[in-house]
Amino acid sequence: MDVTAEITANVWQVRTEVGATVAEGDELVILESMKMEIPVESPIDGTVTQVHVKPDDQVTEGDLVVTIEPS
Amino acid sequence: MADTDERFNWGPLVADLAQRKATALQMGGPDRVERQRSLGKLPVRERLDLFCDPGTFVEYGMLADHMDPNLAAKGSFAADGCITGVGEVDGRPVAVVAYDFTIMAGSMGEVNEQKVTRLRELVLRQRIPIVWLLDSAGARVGGSTGSTFAGAGALFREQVTLSGVVPQVAALMGHCAAGTAYIPALTDFIVMVKGISSMALAGRHLVKAATGEDVTEEEMGGSDVHTKISGVADLAVEDDVACLDAVKQYLSFLPSNNTSRAPRKHTADTPDRRAEEIYDIVPTAPRRAYDMVKVVKAIVDDGDFFEIKAAWARNIVCGFGRMDGESVGIVASQPKVLGGALDVNAADKAARFVWLCDAFEIPLVFLHDVPGFVVGTVVEKQGIIRHGAKMLFAISEATVPKISVVLRKSYGAGYFVMNGRAYEADYIVAWPTAEIAVMGPDGVVNIAFRKQLEEAPEGPERDRLRIELAEMIRANIDPWVAAGHALVDDVIDPADTRAAVIAGLRANRNKQVSRPWRKHGVMPV
Repeated sequence: MDVTAEITANVWQVRTEVGATVAEGDELVILESMKMEIPVESPIDGTVTQVHVKPDDQVTEGDLVVTIEPS
Repeated sequence: MADTDERFNWGPLVADLAQRKATALQMGGPDRVERQRSLGKLPVRERLDLFCDPGTFVEYGMLADHMDPNLAAKGSFAADGCITGVGEVDGRPVAVVAYDFTIMAGSMGEVNEQKVTRLRELVLRQRIPIVWLLDSAGARVGGSTGSTFAGAGALFREQVTLSGVVPQVAALMGHCAAGTAYIPALTDFIVMVKGISSMALAGRHLVKAATGEDVTEEEMGGSDVHTKISGVADLAVEDDVACLDAVKQYLSFLPSNNTSRAPRKHTADTPDRRAEEIYDIVPTAPRRAYDMVKVVKAIVDDGDFFEIKAAWARNIVCGFGRMDGESVGIVASQPKVLGGALDVNAADKAARFVWLCDAFEIPLVFLHDVPGFVVGTVVEKQGIIRHGAKMLFAISEATVPKISVVLRKSYGAGYFVMNGRAYEADYIVAWPTAEIAVMGPDGVVNIAFRKQLEEAPEGPERDRLRIELAEMIRANIDPWVAAGHALVDDVIDPADTRAAVIAGLRANRNKQVSRPWRKHGVMPV
């Protein structure tokens, strides 16, 4: 499952890695936009198979952030 | 003796009547009723029993039938597939229109339209809410498919006449297409049963024929589509029972019409209860996100919050609660989603909710933690200015008591649309963390000091200058400046937010606003 950015933002922190087990609601990446830290949360339980961003990357709405294999 | 005297021969007449009513109560017959259950849906009369207070439903037109010679071969249609009447919900009269899917897929026919028209007349004369239990394929496409359609459509116009006069609610309890999709669209509150209901302008067969698209009802207009993506519906629930319960809960926050007040609900929750859990919910660090719904639940009576469109435009929270027993509409920023910044859907959701509360004289409470409207090409192409203007319009128009609490940031037009002081805010208080300003310090630095920044060598020196300038500006952005100019009415301990809101509502309960006469404004929708 592809997790995407909801807003144009800078990537501030990546808080997961390939192979990590995540639960629904876990913070995967923290974006920075509109002077706020905007967490990107996992929509499902699963395993991270790809991380598409690194800190300081620029993303726009709809850009791929993380891919998760549902468990 | 009556039974031997032919002048008093009532027996067969009463028996015939009883037989006719018994037939009507069987709806589409045991097989179709069983089929209805197998689809996970309750038969329409069981829905009515669950919805109305026991023994209160007064039915109009039980003995109606299709009366169409072209349909003679199909036998009679119990109640013509649509049950109408007035029942009580929590002791208050409510008109109900309930389509019966076991009769011709609950389709709208000429006779049941007459019944619905009559009910709408009663609603208008009595000024009582109207609730639609929708489980209907739409118009009955039968004998009269020609251009007699030229006279059709009064139903929707009359719904518009009722809008803002009486509460209108739609419960989607089956697949509804065309006509029965526009009915909910013109109501104030739409609840959908997950996996069972849908609403779309056309059913899948018509869509396939018209466009070639091959989709299911669920994909096109299921509860996920309408509560998460389109924003057409307000709430998705698990089953019929939860659906009817949600409608009752919704009505409990509303008056019967626009000239009466919502019922008070007694509570043991004291008005001055301190909500110290707020200290653990809201970070003082301005950039850190948190869940605003927790703050709302901490301040309303008994933590009872009925959220509207919770799964759509989640960057703003709208819903009903009570403050010291009185219904209030709450509009709150949601820092957890998009940092609480407003986008087109958030503005749309909040504007509509404000119009709803204002129409029914429900006071509004705003909780600000908003960095402003989202900026950039994406949102401009979506018409953010138009949508933002719509929210400004709704807030400006609302004449109910309006209370504002500024939790942390409230910047620019975000401050205005969240009921800033200039918007006839009747009581506006700030937390010690409040930052009311045209924009955040970083924004000011980038605009007002752009030249100075560019002159500094790129790298650590420029970064240091940027931070210094931002700190200098931040010194003027705090609640004491706003309170010192008496532009906010008080600065409060966050744990006393509930008490402050209740005090503000009490102090402003006699609010009266007169505007210049106009037919209506020109809404930037």
